[in-house]
Amino acid sequence: MTPRRRAAITGIGMVTPVGNDAPATWANVCVGHGGVAAIRSFDASTFPVRIGAEVKHFDAAARIRDRKLLKHASRSQRFALAAAAEAFADAGIRPEPHNAHRWGFIAGAGMMLVTLDELRTVHSFCERDGEFNPEGLVNPEYPVDPVAFCRTQTNSGLALLTHHFGIRGYATAVHTACASGGQALGMALKVVRRGLADFMLAGGYDSMLNPIGLTAFCLLGALSADNEMPERASRPFDATRNGFVLGEGAGFLVIEEWEAARKRGARIYAELAGDGNSLSSYRITDSHPSGDGPIQAMQQAMGDAGLAPRDIDYVNAHGTSTLMNDRSECAALGVVMRERAGKILVSSTKSCMGHLIAAAGAVEAGICALAIREGVAPMNAHYENPDPDCDVNLVLGQSRPGRIRAALSNSLGFGGSNSCLAFRHPEEVEGLPQPGLRNSEQP
Amino acid sequence: MSCSGRIVITGAGAVCGAGLTIDAIWDAIINRRTAITTLRRWDSSSWPVRVAAEVTGVDNRTLVEDRKLHKLILRTDLFGIYAAGEAIRHSGLAAYRDSLDPALVAQFNDRSGVIVGSGGGVYQNNYDFFPALSSVKGDLKDFGAQSCSTVNPMWLLRNLPNNVLCHVGIRHNFKGTNACITNQCVGGLMAVAEAAAAIRAGEADRAVAVGHDNPIDPETILHYHQVGLLSPDALRPFDRRRDGTVFGEGAGAVMLEKAEDAQSRGTAVFGEYLGSGCVTEATGALDVRPDGDGLSRAIEIALDDAEITAEAVGMIVAHGNGTRASDASEALALGRVFGRSIPPVTAFKWGFGHLIAASGIVDLTLALKALEQRVVPGIATLQSVDPEFRWLTVLPNSQPARSDVAMVCCRGFGGMNMAVLVRAGTSAHRS
Repeated sequence: MTPRRRAAITGIGMVTPVGNDAPATWANVCVGHGGVAAIRSFDASTFPVRIGAEVKHFDAAARIRDRKLLKHASRSQRFALAAAAEAFADAGIRPEPHNAHRWGFIAGAGMMLVTLDELRTVHSFCERDGEFNPEGLVNPEYPVDPVAFCRTQTNSGLALLTHHFGIRGYATAVHTACASGGQALGMALKVVRRGLADFMLAGGYDSMLNPIGLTAFCLLGALSADNEMPERASRPFDATRNGFVLGEGAGFLVIEEWEAARKRGARIYAELAGDGNSLSSYRITDSHPSGDGPIQAMQQAMGDAGLAPRDIDYVNAHGTSTLMNDRSECAALGVVMRERAGKILVSSTKSCMGHLIAAAGAVEAGICALAIREGVAPMNAHYENPDPDCDVNLVLGQSRPGRIRAALSNSLGFGGSNSCLAFRHPEEVEGLPQPGLRNSEQP
Repeated sequence: MSCSGRIVITGAGAVCGAGLTIDAIWDAIINRRTAITTLRRWDSSSWPVRVAAEVTGVDNRTLVEDRKLHKLILRTDLFGIYAAGEAIRHSGLAAYRDSLDPALVAQFNDRSGVIVGSGGGVYQNNYDFFPALSSVKGDLKDFGAQSCSTVNPMWLLRNLPNNVLCHVGIRHNFKGTNACITNQCVGGLMAVAEAAAAIRAGEADRAVAVGHDNPIDPETILHYHQVGLLSPDALRPFDRRRDGTVFGEGAGAVMLEKAEDAQSRGTAVFGEYLGSGCVTEATGALDVRPDGDGLSRAIEIALDDAEITAEAVGMIVAHGNGTRASDASEALALGRVFGRSIPPVTAFKWGFGHLIAASGIVDLTLALKALEQRVVPGIATLQSVDPEFRWLTVLPNSQPARSDVAMVCCRGFGGMNMAVLVRAGTSAHRS
């Protein structure tokens, strides 16, 4: 059989609550400088939760010169455009007319498509006795806005980015809540393997930090209400954790077929080496306390990459800082890593960045690639109180320098989708036999 | 171990305005009955668009028996969960799992995937915030207090675009590879292609692919009308008088598995998946290239993937959404790829409207039915083929299929284009 194609990560772009590009984000994550604060982008004073991890000082006009494009882009899509442009610049390659059809696109796209301002317009025309009355829409005064309409389509981000960057091959958008970004990158790996594309722009973008999104998560009781100490509110795996902190942002990676990337002398951060993808089929919001679901995702990712627990040096945990997620995820790590569990460094960078929802898995994949490149396992910030139910080898106090041969990144979503991505140090790839068969060591 | 073997369809289900089963929908299509009629969900008498193909006269409990679940999901999700259940039931896989040694059941579940093409949210979800907006009277300072006390606590979960994925998983205990594709019109058909790819790559032994949507929504209709995509009365694919599309609602699902598995458990095979192609034209949200470049590239990729030539295709189910630009460019693409050897072409949307994310996968289930019957149904609303593409082999009446291979085309916003190739199965579908 033909050898399976490998995927190289050659470009990284980010817009996050701790930095408006990948270098700034990485620097802050490494020193545990958090991005959680009182919400400023709207008046959150009467919400039970008034803190969030907002993207700060993001100058869209400076990052995206095309004014017409900006008008068409929602807040999260602006993050996506900026992160994607950074990823292309970082990779030193972008779609050209001669190879545009060999470029593919996959994004984990957020679910919120209508802004509160747009909803207020509908409300002012259509509200009757607290209910929606469609008659208001056919009022000749109703300000129909085709640009806003385009923004509300589920694949509007795909439309914007493929058009702006000239990507003409395989393209899709996916949404599995908090697993979206991880699943998007997993699909990108498969698209490269299948030979459908030689280059991929893949990642995720989201912003639910608005009055509707904040209401939605407040109602579920999923958020930390530590309004008086925002900087410590996101403390994954700490015994006193009490919910996640809602964040926003985007992460995009440029992924290339390995041999082609090598040939052009690209700087390869890491191999995107494996994808694991499972469904908990347990409850909408949780996986089983035993770790069932995440276990299969991690095992598959390692098996797919030809990695065993002894090869893994770092796990970027989903680590949302909710009671149930962190417990289930640690149980899964124990089952999967067995006796190696105590030696593998684990951290959740959500301790700094908060939870970027559909963008989380993509940004954290970028963090894993940087961790491998820089030889640093970023810290799990704001941790003080050990939880016996979260018995993993956390990176505490400061980030840990040291070679990372291979890393995993977990993203576990509402709806039960679990994504695990495996990354390999580029030097570990040389000398490996071409993978064809699945690893026989798969548990 | 990657699986280069054949992939077959052992179950299928569909629901739309034309019926609750594939056989009922087929019966309507072949007897030239359209489900497009007066839009009744709200008083549309003053609306510029007053037609749709609604699913009517069906109790929600017929679609999903569990009444508790109805409060946790949207109407579009009912359709998706129903169609997936039909496909799984039809495949006989649940009974097969029950016959397995208990030790093998967990592995069966972990190797069973769910891939969904979801229409995503509709605007109506947000109207739950109306009471809060009314009470704050324009001053948003108090919005949080009001919204957090008036909106249903389950609001977010109810509106997850991946609810069908979640609940199909829970109801059937499928726990393997999964995806929720939110790629507007092509989502459902992409779900089929991704499910097949996962089986081919050895990531799953079987997977159910689902597409579901409900665009019959006041804001959706208003916006589509405003950008000139909707017809005021009928959907007339490829007709010289075509003037837009008409919305329907519904879902389709197919169960895919390895041919050797289907054979070893002796199940009926409804069809075989051969290959697919998917590309974007990079034209932005609404525009399509006039030359049909994206669709012809998608078709070429699908033919390569299936390792067959254009001549082997015996019938084509076109996207045929009835809009001026899409139909014209689709006709050009088909002409460019197939030339004089173009097989009979049809389209089904005239019968049950444009199902958006569900359209391609419902078309696929009907394509398999057409192959089974060796009949390519006519387009009942076709009076006079647009003279710009007189060579297009569409007819008001049915035609014989030229072979046992069908191609299904699907196109969507974002310049998306897809083609999927399937072969007839060895046994008839029984709904």
